[in-house]
Amino acid sequence: MDIKKLWIPFLFIILAIFPPFLLSQYWLHVMIISLFYVMMASSWNLIAGFTGQISFAHAAFSGVGAYVSGMMAVYLGLPPWLGVLIGAGVAALLGLGLGYLCIRMGGIYLSLTTLGFSEILRIIITNEDKWTRGTMGLQIPGFFTEYSKASYYYVFLVIAILLLVVIYWIIHSEMGLTFRAVLNDELAASSSGINTIRVRALAFTISSAMAGLAGGLYGHYLMLITPDIPSLGQMFLVLAMAVIGGMGSFAGPIIGSFVLEILSEYIRIYGEYHLLLFGLVALAMARFAPEGVIGLLGKKWRIEWSH
Amino acid sequence: MYLTNGIVIGVINAVSAIGVSLIVGIMRVINFAHGELYIFAGYFSYHLSLTFGIPPYLAAPLSIFFIFLTGLGMERTLIRPTYGDEMYSLIITFVLSIVLQNVALLVFGPYPNKPPNLVDGASNIFGLFHYGNQRLLSFVISIGLLLFIFYLIRRTWFGKSVRAVSQDRGMASLMGVDHFRVNMLSFGLGAALAGAAGVLIAPIFPVTPTGSSSVSLTAFVVVVLGGMGSLKGCVIGGLILGVIENLGAAYISTMYRHIFGFIILILVLVFRPWGLYGQRTQ
Repeated sequence: MDIKKLWIPFLFIILAIFPPFLLSQYWLHVMIISLFYVMMASSWNLIAGFTGQISFAHAAFSGVGAYVSGMMAVYLGLPPWLGVLIGAGVAALLGLGLGYLCIRMGGIYLSLTTLGFSEILRIIITNEDKWTRGTMGLQIPGFFTEYSKASYYYVFLVIAILLLVVIYWIIHSEMGLTFRAVLNDELAASSSGINTIRVRALAFTISSAMAGLAGGLYGHYLMLITPDIPSLGQMFLVLAMAVIGGMGSFAGPIIGSFVLEILSEYIRIYGEYHLLLFGLVALAMARFAPEGVIGLLGKKWRIEWSH
Repeated sequence: MYLTNGIVIGVINAVSAIGVSLIVGIMRVINFAHGELYIFAGYFSYHLSLTFGIPPYLAAPLSIFFIFLTGLGMERTLIRPTYGDEMYSLIITFVLSIVLQNVALLVFGPYPNKPPNLVDGASNIFGLFHYGNQRLLSFVISIGLLLFIFYLIRRTWFGKSVRAVSQDRGMASLMGVDHFRVNMLSFGLGAALAGAAGVLIAPIFPVTPTGSSSVSLTAFVVVVLGGMGSLKGCVIGGLILGVIENLGAAYISTMYRHIFGFIILILVLVFRPWGLYGQRTQ
């Protein structure tokens, strides 16, 4: 990124400092949840948008992070900070294993197996209720002894920015170049000396670790973890945020996360229709505007510039 | 007894899995909305027979026909524009499955529904044990459907064009096969098979909107186990999974029925990723 462009993220970061002073507790909560989705959708976009592999286990990996960290805090008394890191590590290992198994067989196998993995994880968590309290949810400690939404907001903000910097760095580094080479033409990439399987497995592992980290934070913020965290409904929300915002772009999933999370708060007044509505919008977007809102805006700007 | 149950379920698994396999083999598209079509068929046959008073033996084929039409519509509007873009077809069918699941929750409610049996009572099998007539009938119809599909693919003009398109799309269209039509019909047929399995199993195990993902998953495990695109593989894979799940549920734990399927999936991916009857090169 050249220096002239640096002011845009800088401006956003400055603006992001103020919400705890301006918003009500309720809207601060919505902002924290949005930041969780920013981490989820952006890290999912790293594999889906940049290497073309559709994983359906992203919510499952966040569930791994939340349950590993939460259960360690409850049963072993481990501090949440440490637990979150261990949770991310476990998610990375599982991602590495699944990725290694499926990626050599092609994208369809990865999608099938990750879907299976998230269903199985949900079944195990629901049934092993002696340890996980099943659908009742497990109460876990938070990060701070004194509860304050503002502190959580800053924790989520700092970690979301860190993850976004890492993602930005990856897609603009040589690694990102190999990612895109693999996406555009796998055969050409492999014949120019890129180990396509290793590149894809690496991307999948990094993205799984990020999901695990985000899930761990989310669990310790809610202080109650349920099998809804690794559910396919949650997976769908993350996917819809990336698809509607714009897959394969850096800003798309960020915009998608905020817009969809804020919208779902409004829709909730009328009942649980947000999944259905977002599904229909995502279908229309995937069908008519595969580059998402970012793609549409970009096109409009380009047309205006040319006049 | 558990073995018989396993075989009956296995054959219905095979019907459902062939629906997925046909679409994968021909179009390289995985239909994640498979389980939802199955659930919808179960609900249609329930409402047609109980709400509208149509006799069950008419309601069942009518529901399958509706699902066939739904499949044709899905292919025409959503899947056709994604040809050659595997990623978008995966996204679209997954989103579609969530949409249909929520529609089912909205329209049919969250309660399990069970359409009336086509036949009542039980029969004595070889003087060994009594077995429900509905299960026997489902078994016989499933075998009939499997034979019909094999005949359709191996012996008819439609089957020949299907096999031609799945081997080489470009060449097939040069030879005068309308591959759009073939794709559309195969997708419809795949959907109809999901519907058939749903109609056959709904009187035995009631359908719920949230049960759809495990239906899809079972079909996917069978398809990977048998080898993608292989019809014979689906039958063998369906039987293996049906028997293992039932024996496992009986002797180990019922809650973990689906975990056996997942373990099989992982084992296949580790040791024989192309499946029992699949082609080694993808």
